[in-house]
Amino acid sequence: MWAGGVAAMRGPDMRGPDGAVLVWEEVSIRYGSCRVVDGVSLAVHSGELVALTGPNGSGKSTLLSVAAGVREADAGRVLVRGLERKADPVAYARQVGWSPQQCGLYDELTVEENLRFFGRLQGLGGNRLHQNLQRVMGQLGLGSRRRQRVGTLSGGWKQRVNIAAALVHNPSVLLLDEPTSGLDAESRERLLADISRLRDEGCAVVLATHQGDEVAAVADRVAQLHKGRLGESARDPSRQPSISPPLLLYGQLRHPPPRFLLRLVRQRLPHGVELELIGRRLRLRAETAESLGYALAELLREGVAFESYRTVASSAARLA
Amino acid sequence: MRIGNWQILFALMVKDWLLFWSDRRAFLFSFLVPIILASAFGYIFERPASGSASGPRLPVCLVVEDSGPFTEALVRELLASPRLQAQPVDRAAAESALRHQRVPVAIVIPEGFAQTAARLGTLQEASKGGLLPQIVLLHDASRHAEVEWASGIVAEIVMKQLCAHHLSRWLPADWQSWSMPFQVVPVPVSRHPGRRFNTYTHSFCGMTLQYLLFWGMESGLLFLRERRSETWRRMRAMAAPLRTLLAAKALTTAGVGCLQVLATFTFGWLAFGVAIEGSLGGFVLLSLAVCLLAAAVGLLVAAWGNAEAHARNISIVVILGVSMLGGLWLPAFLLPEWVRELALALPTAWAMQGFSAVTWQGASFLAVLPCILAVLAFALLLLALAVGRLHVLEKRAG
Repeated sequence: MWAGGVAAMRGPDMRGPDGAVLVWEEVSIRYGSCRVVDGVSLAVHSGELVALTGPNGSGKSTLLSVAAGVREADAGRVLVRGLERKADPVAYARQVGWSPQQCGLYDELTVEENLRFFGRLQGLGGNRLHQNLQRVMGQLGLGSRRRQRVGTLSGGWKQRVNIAAALVHNPSVLLLDEPTSGLDAESRERLLADISRLRDEGCAVVLATHQGDEVAAVADRVAQLHKGRLGESARDPSRQPSISPPLLLYGQLRHPPPRFLLRLVRQRLPHGVELELIGRRLRLRAETAESLGYALAELLREGVAFESYRTVASSAARLA
Repeated sequence: MRIGNWQILFALMVKDWLLFWSDRRAFLFSFLVPIILASAFGYIFERPASGSASGPRLPVCLVVEDSGPFTEALVRELLASPRLQAQPVDRAAAESALRHQRVPVAIVIPEGFAQTAARLGTLQEASKGGLLPQIVLLHDASRHAEVEWASGIVAEIVMKQLCAHHLSRWLPADWQSWSMPFQVVPVPVSRHPGRRFNTYTHSFCGMTLQYLLFWGMESGLLFLRERRSETWRRMRAMAAPLRTLLAAKALTTAGVGCLQVLATFTFGWLAFGVAIEGSLGGFVLLSLAVCLLAAAVGLLVAAWGNAEAHARNISIVVILGVSMLGGLWLPAFLLPEWVRELALALPTAWAMQGFSAVTWQGASFLAVLPCILAVLAFALLLLALAVGRLHVLEKRAG
């Protein structure tokens, strides 16, 4: 119900021809003579979480900053709901929420003051601003910290406020630049659970990270950047190596299982099977269908209840 | 400007005010420091107004190595002088007091002074270039004005005593109650007759101006940091127009500056009687122009500053320089003429002239208008330079 309400507030549906909310079209960016992004095309849909992975310097942050509108592409274009930024910068900005890698907040102000400020900058005021503040603080569990100065928060909480500031105007597209960097395992898990919930509520989320493994459990797709280009394997599945790729199972659980239960199941898993859990989203990775089936059976036997699940080959999960 | 931009302007200004109030250092620096320094400068340079009953008294040590009735009478006169605060000590104590800068001058009457000076032939010997009796003035090496002051008083008292000694037989018995046969009348002359110079007024005007410039610098450095942070990129991503961002920054800086002027002048009025004796409208307009100047300085620092520490150091040197040359520390008459002429190329000199005019000189609005226009012109010029440069920088960054 809440997701429907949020979607209704996001304004008229002006998606691209294939239904994508955010589209990079042959985007190239140079820093001097160095081409940091080279002809990248990528489309993201509502309710989809795309992980943009790659090593440091591969162009992830630059690609996000072009979509955020803080720099212009040297070639190509970025469309949000079919709209280019230069056509109407304000309307474009209202559709995009950008959470920069370094905390883009005022340490001296409280959580609420920061969010209120960025909300006003996005044209919100009065009741609507108040409602949006309540919603976003609820979504990211910031209610108890609203009067705390941002400078006194831990890294994990700061990152939540950083994301909340990008969400306060209820954008269609959420761009997250390395949101989990510098966080401990527990904070990272909680934050990823929050991000996947935002996706579930209908937001198109692009998450740039150099640690692809940690987001694989929550991402619907993984796009790999290398030296400013999307990986060849991701562009053309027919060029995959001949050996059979590992199998992946993504599951949505009814309730998060206790930690001891996961430890127990992990001890029984066959060699080569990986199990990850972020909030209620589970990921299993196995080399063969047999070992994947065995792991699934173990989980079911211990009473882990699935709402839904799907299996894919890992190469298919990577997409240009 | 669209309605949305007014809302953004308001949001940015609220944010900057919140940041200012959350920074205790900036608060102390902007409000308390100028008040303390202005009070201290006013106190240091305060002199009783000319013509007042209680004139200033020069503290001196009096070393008497001579004896006899002539010397005793001379010492009595020196101790009774209303312009000296003489303390009889021996030579060693006097030298110690001078070395420790407790007194600026010690008057030494050496042995045999009276015998030589009281001789009738002294004046004739003096006219022939003969050896004269001496009164020695030991003095602190850094205090020349006080030596001249003491020398004048000593000359007057000794001459009186010599006259009495040589002419008393021809004078009536009550001659000692005679006063000087003439009066020296000091009359202050300024552009506005009847107004007295008040050192507190000068120090409050000067320190307020200097610390307005310092506040402008602090605001500029804050903006410099902000422009390099992700908050700035975030604001730009939110399509906040550059002109709105800059206008908000300038208005907030000027607004805090106005508060600073109000606070320092209110304190000066309550504590030391610093009053706006001229045009109140002129004072208000001049204050607004000066606050705009502080905002322009801030944007200039943000536009041309490179590393923060570097920008701070250069700004401090420049602000102290223009403050000194503009007569913000000491009254302009103490500066050489060529410096005063050079200072006309500085906004601080015009601002200080304007503040002096509307405070202790009691000038009318029209009299202070040239100063207001000059400060405004400087402010607009600096604003134009800063905004132009920031536009170029933003274009490059985008």
